[in-house]
Amino acid sequence: MSYFGVDRVFTLLRTIKQYGGIRQSFLKIFRMDSLRPGVVVGVDKFGNKYFENNYYFYGRNRWVEYAPQYGMDYDGSQVPVEWFGWLHYKTDLLPSQDPSRPKYKWMLEHTPNLTGTPRQYMPYSTTQSKVQPWVPPPKK
Amino acid sequence: MLRSALVPAKEALNNQCVVRSFVACCNNLKVQKRDQSTTQVRDQSTQPATASSTEVAAQKRKPYSPFQNTNNVAEYALARLDDLLNWGRKGSVWPLTFGLACCAVEMMHIAAPRYDMDRYGVVFRASPRQADCIIVAGTLTNKMAPALRKVYDQMPEPRWVISMGSCANGGGYYHYSYSVVRGCDRIIPVDIYVPGCPPTAEALMYGVLQLQKKIKRYNTVQMWYRK
Repeated sequence: MSYFGVDRVFTLLRTIKQYGGIRQSFLKIFRMDSLRPGVVVGVDKFGNKYFENNYYFYGRNRWVEYAPQYGMDYDGSQVPVEWFGWLHYKTDLLPSQDPSRPKYKWMLEHTPNLTGTPRQYMPYSTTQSKVQPWVPPPKK
Repeated sequence: MLRSALVPAKEALNNQCVVRSFVACCNNLKVQKRDQSTTQVRDQSTQPATASSTEVAAQKRKPYSPFQNTNNVAEYALARLDDLLNWGRKGSVWPLTFGLACCAVEMMHIAAPRYDMDRYGVVFRASPRQADCIIVAGTLTNKMAPALRKVYDQMPEPRWVISMGSCANGGGYYHYSYSVVRGCDRIIPVDIYVPGCPPTAEALMYGVLQLQKKIKRYNTVQMWYRK
């Protein structure tokens, strides 16, 4: 069976079933560029789901599915610090299992990268500019 | 910040004019207000207040298009045209390599299989006339500056610029050198600044993804219609 690779077909069918039908699977591929069966090991406070499947090799066996609120505009900075270590193989312990995580009251909430949003960081200078910009001559 | 907050107070001490000190106080208040807003932004919590609100937020799906507030059919059609145009543009950002220093090595890395920029439709072009985007990687010297401007002027519209590394962002290590331009944004308008010295290939990849997000927000057709 496995010699001819027939079990792969069953795996595919099981995967499609896990994701809830062909349409949902296509949506998943469209969003994440891959369709991997996995076990949800945790959900963070933003709603991102973390998956693991050790059938895949190291580097592909842990992944994150971003919360639907991010749509297609997800990016890596939306993973909070407590899950970053697990996702990047700094530790094998899940945040809930690790007793040695520092927890102080001065620790800030995680913020994703706000570039391109209304809350982005905008530097401004308080000193007078030393350069005069070139003003293009008006078109004749 | 501190200086502008202190100077009016000193003035108020020195001269007895009540009106002037009052105005200075107002300015001071304004400054403080702005300060508060920045700290508020920094301190604001991203954690939802209740568990039920988490579920609601998790259920709501963010739509693909950033143009959702359309009032009539024409606007809707133009918004969808914009979506299509932006989808095409962000899926085929062809950068021009402008490797000037060690950052160029990292720029080569994102073309290599590990980071594999081809999967985002990012393919290096050797000619500025075929490129959408220029990646300024490395120290921009005074001698190279006219060449950079010429190359940028040869690129067809729309064009984007990624400034890669400290040297291109603001001079970096060579900021006080007599022969270095203090940031390539003095020569060409920059869209994305990638920090680092040099930035990792991963960081540059992230910069490219940020550029794609930016391209997605372009409203070219809608602005044409509004004109």
